[in-house]
Amino acid sequence: MLLLMILLVVLSGATLCAQSAINGRLGSHVGVLESAWLTFTLGAMLSFLYAFLFEPHHAFTLFSVPRWQITGAFFGVVYMLVIVFAIPRIGTAAATVAVISGQLLMSLLIDHFGWLGNTVIRLNGARYAAMALLAVALVLIYRSNTRLRRENAGPCMDM
Amino acid sequence: MKHIWLLPLVVAAGMGLSVEAGLLGPLGEEVGHGWAVLGIFALGSLLLTFGLIFGRPRLALMFAQPRWLLTGGILGPIYVAALTLATPVVGVGLTMVGILFGQVAASLVIDHFGWLGSAKRAVDGHRVGALIAILLALWLIH
Repeated sequence: MLLLMILLVVLSGATLCAQSAINGRLGSHVGVLESAWLTFTLGAMLSFLYAFLFEPHHAFTLFSVPRWQITGAFFGVVYMLVIVFAIPRIGTAAATVAVISGQLLMSLLIDHFGWLGNTVIRLNGARYAAMALLAVALVLIYRSNTRLRRENAGPCMDM
Repeated sequence: MKHIWLLPLVVAAGMGLSVEAGLLGPLGEEVGHGWAVLGIFALGSLLLTFGLIFGRPRLALMFAQPRWLLTGGILGPIYVAALTLATPVVGVGLTMVGILFGQVAASLVIDHFGWLGSAKRAVDGHRVGALIAILLALWLIH
């Protein structure tokens, strides 16, 4: 189950990469807001079809859980607006590294404290070592992006 | 860099992505993963529709594009569904590192073969190094 889930997230990361490469091209033709709108609207249509047809009955619904639990979408939309505003000003390489740092740091904090109703997974020696390795990875991604910038935009890692 | 003040804002935006994942996992357990994914996309779609109505939408232009350029919207739900399925089982940290690994690996492959209309490019040593470091981190966290 654990390995299956890891495989699933790695594959979905690859999917995300393909998606941002495609959306990047679409966005440069029709505008960022338009391409984001298409993503969210198609996503809503598909997930509605799936949930309506296949999802088994649950004790709670989207309308009966506490409201704060369904605010996830706001973070996604705010993220998109910040990125669109920041990339022309601080550059893609810096923005990419800043986003990934924030993402990784917060994810480890959520695990450690079990925030938002998640299972507590404490920071330990292995997790600190992993953080050091991730910092190395970020430096390498930054250098790779600043080098690529002189040729032309690479896919996905420049969001 | 004269816009250095933007960096903390961008870091915070990245943190928001993990908060989104942290909200999605427990929500999916409670209401069903499909409905949790719908919650994200329906709210996002409504907000952006507002933005478009009061902006200057170029939707006609969008539907003049080749259809494969519109498939990003089909790939999006796969990512969100993976978030809601995986975070309750493996935690938010491992989920995010796994996604990063998939992204860097895919960027190398797309570059190498010049897929999706990107320029064909030799494999980049820095990214291979980053990929190995992330793989080790993934193994350590797991």
